[in-house]
Order: sequence, then structure tokens, then C-alpha cells
Amino acid sequence: MTRKQLGASIAAALLFLPSLSVLGGCGAKSAKIVLRVYNWEEYIDDGGSGTFIYDELHELDDEGNPITENGKHVHIDSDIVDENYKAWYRETMGKELSEEGPEILDDFCLWYEKEYGQSIRVEYSTFGTNEDMYNEIVLGNEYDLLCPSDYMIMKLAAEGRLEKYDESFFDKSEKNNYYVRNVSDFIADKFENNAGLEVRNDENGEPILWKDYAAGYMWGTTGFVYNPAYVDAEQLDELGWEIFTAPAYKGKITAKDNVRDTYFAALGVTYQEELCALQEALEAGDIDSAAYISEVTKIFNATDDETIARVEPNLMDLKENVYSFETDTGKADMVQGKIWLNYAWSGDAVYALDLAESGADEDGEDSGSVLLNYYVPEAGTNLWFDGWVMPKGANKQAAQAFVNFLSMPQNAMRNSYYIGYTSVIADEEGKMLDYAKYLYEDEETDDPVEYDLSYFFGEGASITADIEQATCRQLYAQFPPQSVIGRSAVMDYYDEGASARINELWARVKAETLDAWAIVVICVTVAAIAVFVLFVKFGAKIDFGRKPKKGYTLVDQKPLR
Amino acid sequence: MKIPRFSRKTLCIPYAVFLIFFVIVPMLVILFYAFTDRNMHISFSNFIRFFSDPTKLSTIVYSLVIALITTVICLVIAFPVAYILAHSRMKKKFVILMLFVLPMWINFVLRVNALRELFNLFSSLDGLEGLANANYFKTVFGMVYDFLPFMILPLYTTMLKIDRSLYEASYDLGAGAVTTFVRITIPLSMPGVMSGVTMVFLPSMTNYVVSDMLGNAKVTIIGKFIYEYFGTDWHMGSMVALVLLIVVFVSTWLSGGFKSEENVRGTTL
Repeated sequence: MTRKQLGASIAAALLFLPSLSVLGGCGAKSAKIVLRVYNWEEYIDDGGSGTFIYDELHELDDEGNPITENGKHVHIDSDIVDENYKAWYRETMGKELSEEGPEILDDFCLWYEKEYGQSIRVEYSTFGTNEDMYNEIVLGNEYDLLCPSDYMIMKLAAEGRLEKYDESFFDKSEKNNYYVRNVSDFIADKFENNAGLEVRNDENGEPILWKDYAAGYMWGTTGFVYNPAYVDAEQLDELGWEIFTAPAYKGKITAKDNVRDTYFAALGVTYQEELCALQEALEAGDIDSAAYISEVTKIFNATDDETIARVEPNLMDLKENVYSFETDTGKADMVQGKIWLNYAWSGDAVYALDLAESGADEDGEDSGSVLLNYYVPEAGTNLWFDGWVMPKGANKQAAQAFVNFLSMPQNAMRNSYYIGYTSVIADEEGKMLDYAKYLYEDEETDDPVEYDLSYFFGEGASITADIEQATCRQLYAQFPPQSVIGRSAVMDYYDEGASARINELWARVKAETLDAWAIVVICVTVAAIAVFVLFVKFGAKIDFGRKPKKGYTLVDQKPLR
Repeated sequence: MKIPRFSRKTLCIPYAVFLIFFVIVPMLVILFYAFTDRNMHISFSNFIRFFSDPTKLSTIVYSLVIALITTVICLVIAFPVAYILAHSRMKKKFVILMLFVLPMWINFVLRVNALRELFNLFSSLDGLEGLANANYFKTVFGMVYDFLPFMILPLYTTMLKIDRSLYEASYDLGAGAVTTFVRITIPLSMPGVMSGVTMVFLPSMTNYVVSDMLGNAKVTIIGKFIYEYFGTDWHMGSMVALVLLIVVFVSTWLSGGFKSEENVRGTTL
């Protein structure tokens, strides 16, 4: 390479650098408004194959790859991305729907410019955990819109790091307020009463309502994906959370490699009896459902020393019993049949179930079709929400427009399809219900049941589905029945003390602890080795008062150079 | 017009700037965080918490042991390989060296993932089921696999530089093969051993990607601790990082890593 070439390539590299700072997004560079969105990885429709519009309009094989004929993809008509959908797209974005699957961020830019007359650019970046995101915010990184989970929303709000949504955002008569018009009543209720949790501003102690600070995006439960070939459903019912410590499933079950979810599970193991007793009291009419759910929430959010002392041995048993602590390898291990049970979030569960059914592993290689099921413990589980919040100093107008844009049912479908989780949207026109029906309605099955979803989609909403779908498969995971929701608790955020206690507990569980004497012995050994090495190195220089041998005299000699 | 003159000192400025901003300042930040509490007041609570917690001390011990075993295995494998390579008269020994070094050029996460899949495959065989739960074994295996080239290369370059006439002299003076090996080869390749040891020992104390992926996240080494604490408690995380820094410093000093010997880490590749 000549010097000129080298110079040219360095110059090219330097020119290329600024473009790296924008991770994704859309819109012209010259756009006046910039919307900085900070979202979970893989948590929005990013266009192209594998996304809703593309998959609906192309004929796909069993593994989800497009079929080609004479080198061209085969286009098909879709029941859901139909003429109405295309007309809506034309009207909303001001252009024809591309069969190759447009990116939702690009669409937002088109829509925003059309509606508000200003060009906008989206700077889209992603995070892996709530804690990573929190650290970024604390460090002073500026964004307009974030998508944390429930407990992190509460933490951010309590610390006064969030902007409130405008009052005009909740005005149902405004045409572009899609969120407030389309959000499911069930979600709106939860956001209005903080799902039963109390949040106060750290500074002035004023109560905080989620509704003021957050708009929902996705929601779901946690439960177990299991392989019915190895796991008996009845036994699962009997064991509930104790499946984590059951010797029969030693090495065949996974837990999550984060303290929040695994501590939650360990609470379930520890307090299963209390939880079941509460349920019986509810059924007997001794307590009302509000009192019941607040008790369940209290149990699943306990962090006092006494609780930790009770949970710790169970957590240790759990560690002994599980095959691994994982965050994303569980799905593949499950499909391969290496493990029988995987503690999973509902959306991941849907994904794993789909994958196993299609007979492909994650790399698309055929490994035989397996039917997996989803199970939620009787005693109750975690109900979670991810929502959009605006940190202090955000461009509220653009951020709220973005939330509204994602809340159009046609867009909610796209994201829900791509992510696999359940959107909070349940519009009055029933488009989202149609989408759910499109996925799961099956009137020709041998065992049809009416699957009631009125709590979410509004009165009278139900899906005729196969009994398996309704009791243990994708439908049950993606749209949990009211009975599951009724016994689920939302995670509270930990204050400083609780956070420190839980961290220490997690460290004790994850790491091996030696006995005190062993540590002392090892420290002494290490010190002895260090002294020995020092002695070898410098020993020669130290005069220990050695006397020369008989007949010799000691000569002070400098070493030769 | 005066032409600006560049002296050698001027050329050092870029590196000095880099050193200040990316080495010295971060160290000071770690020091600051380690000895402050949440309200940024000076406090020794993290220090006391660290040294009174058997879990953290045990984790350091475990990391040391894992790193030590990894280093010893690497050395045992690498020494003969380097010796044979350095002494062979083969024209194509470059190819063999490449075979050992080539994996280094493939992304590390990819290799660990591949190893994970291999273990999965083996653990499905009869008689090898125990492999699925042999987390410590798999972790050490993965580390050896990953860090082996870092041991071979410095050893190879050092041995290559040993003067052949020394061997001849040794044989001329009547020493056998064993004596020659013990008194010529081993002492003269010590610099290579030392730099190989530092390059394997230190990363294998902190490389938690291997222990997470191959040890099913059931093996916790000190690097993972630092990562987890930085999720919620930066102060404790900094304290753990600081302790690790001191452990590393002491072990490097003891092994003579700071002596201004000939740099043998530079490699032929």
C-alpha cells in the first residue's frame, strides 16, 4: 500500500465515523426535529423478510423462508394485509405499500411529516437490560423516549427523572390520539391504579400514577415452556413453582440469569402454600379479589431480611437443580430437547413454541417438529408491562406522536408479529381482535372451545379455538385468560436497602462460598508463596551474617557486567 | 514564515493524550467510586464489605484457581509445540504455526459458541451425559482453547532466538539431551514462559463470557461479579475491580513482568 493509498483510506475511515453514531432510524439528515428513541433490542418491526407485511404477502415454506419460482418470490393475497390495509397504508403514509415490507420507523417519518408538516428524523438505539438503560440515563445520555419495564418505570418516576404526558395526549376526541383511544381498558386500568403498587416521589413524597408518566407498549406473563413428551402436565400442576427444586427434573430445567426473575421464582417456591391458601380463601369468599391480589403482590415483592433468609435455601436448591441460568439460550436448548422446562417470558414462549412446531432450530435447520406447551403456576405469576416514558428534557410533542403512531392497530399488529409479545392495543373497531382471531381462530377443530377475552378486548370478545391452544399453547401464552391475570403480581422497584440485600443474596447464590478456615488457609499459603518468591529474588542481596568457609575470606565483589 | 519543527517529543503527544484519557483518568474514576458511597461521600464501607464477605473472597480464590489451572494446562501443551516448531527443519513449519494461530483470527464469541455446540453434541452420546453438568471442566477447557495461541507465540519466538551454538557447546562439553534441555532450553525460554503466563493467567481470571456460555452461568468468576455490580451498584463494582487490579499487579510484579527485558510478546505473525 503506498502512502497515498494509506492516507486515502484513513480519510475514508474518518468520513465514515460520524455515520456510525446513528445506530438506525430514518429521515433526512437535514430534518429539523430529531426523535431519540431508546428501546429494547429486537423490539420493533424493522422491515424486510420475517416481518408482518412481508410474510403476509409472500408464500413461505414451513421454515418461514420465501418460496421462489423461476427465481422470483411468489406473492400471495393475505386475509389481513388486504385491500383495506393497503388503503389505510396509502392514506396514512401517503404512498403505496411495498410488498418487501417497509420499516416502521420510516413509516413514522412519512406520517409525521404528513400530519404535522415538519420533517423528522429518528435516532434509534437499543439496550439489553433495564439496568443498562438506567445507567445510560443516569450518566446523562439524552433521549426523548425510553421503553423500560414496569419496575424501572416506577424507579425512574420516583427519582423524578421523567416528564409527564400532556393532558392533550388523553383527549379522546383528537384524531391523532391513537393511544388513548385504542389502548385496552384492562391496561388502562392497571396504569391508572399502578397495578396495586404504591409509588411516591423520593423528594416530596407525592404519590405517582403510572398513567401520567407511561404509555403501554407490550405486556405478558412469565411461565414455563415445557415438553409434554417428558413432563406430565398433571404433575406440573401438583408441583407448581416447586418444579424448580423437584429432583425429578434435576438438570432439565433452566432459570433466568437475572436476579429479578429468579428471585421472583424462588419466592414462588417458598410461599407456594401461602399463595394457595389465599386462593382458597378467595374461592370461599373470605376475602375479595382486591384484597387477594394485594396480598399476592405483597408476597412476590417481599425483600425483608426474614423473607430473604427463608428464600435463600430454596434459591440454593434451585441452583443445584437447574441446568443453567440463561437469558437467551433456553429457547434453543428447549427445541433441541436438551432441557424439558424453560422458565420464560410469554413472548419468548410463543416464539419457542412456534419454532419447535415448525421443526426448525434457530438457524433454520431441520431437527424434527416438536410440540411444546406453556404453563403458568396455579399459585400466581408475574404480570409485566413495558411502556414508553419520556425522560426529562424530551421533545414531548414528537415522542407522544411516536407513541400514538405505534398505537394504530395496523402498526401494533406489525410490532406484535415481529416481537411475539402481546400489544396493549385493543381498538374499538376490533382490528386487533381480528388479528388475534386470524392467528388462533380454528372452527374446524375437533375440540372447539370459546376462549373468552372480554377482559382485554371488551365485552363479548372471544375466540373459537382448539382446546389445546386455549389451555396450554400459543393462544394461552400470548393472550392469557382472565384466570391467569387474576392471580398475577406486578414487580415493585427495590429501594436502595432492598437492592443491596438482593444483590448480596444473588452473589451468594451465583458464586461458591468457601468456609472461613479454607479462605484463611489459602491466604496464608499465598502469602507464604509471595514471601518465598521475594526471598528467591532478593535473598542473595541480604546478608544473613554468613561466615565464609574455613580457609576462605569474604571479598566484596561487584558482579561482572 | 517559521516552519513548525517536530521533535520526537511532539510525536508522543497523541499517545500521551490517549494514555491520560483512557488509562489514567478511568483508573482514578474507579478509585474514586471504590471509596465513595451513593451520596458521593468518602467511605470505606465498600472496602470493609468486600473483605468481610466470604463470598467475594471465595470468588477471588475460585478465579485464581481456574486461571492457574488454565495457565498450567496451556503451558504443558504449548511448551512442546513451541519447542518442536522452533527446532524443526521443516520448510513448511510456518503452516503448522498458522494452524495454531489461525483460530485467534476468528471471532472469539463465535468459537466459544461452536465449542458449546460441540459439548452439546458430545453430551448427547451414551456414557458422556455427565458432560452436560461438568461446568468447571467445560469452563477450563474453553479458556485453554481460547488462550492457547497466546502461550505458544511468545514461547516460539523466544526459543527461535536461542543461539544454536549454545546447544553445540553443551553437547561438546558432554551434556546429554536432558541436561541440555534443563540447563539451556528451559532457562533461556523463561522470558517467553513469563510473558505467556501473564497473557493467559490475567484474562482467564476475568473472561466471564466463557464461564457463562460453557459453564451454564453456574460458574462465577470475578469478572462476572464486576459486570453484575455495575448493573446496580457502581461503588461495589469499582471496589471489586480495584481489588482485581491489585491482585493482577502483585502477580505481575512477582513474576518479573515489569523488568525491562527484551520484548518477547511481539510475534512473527
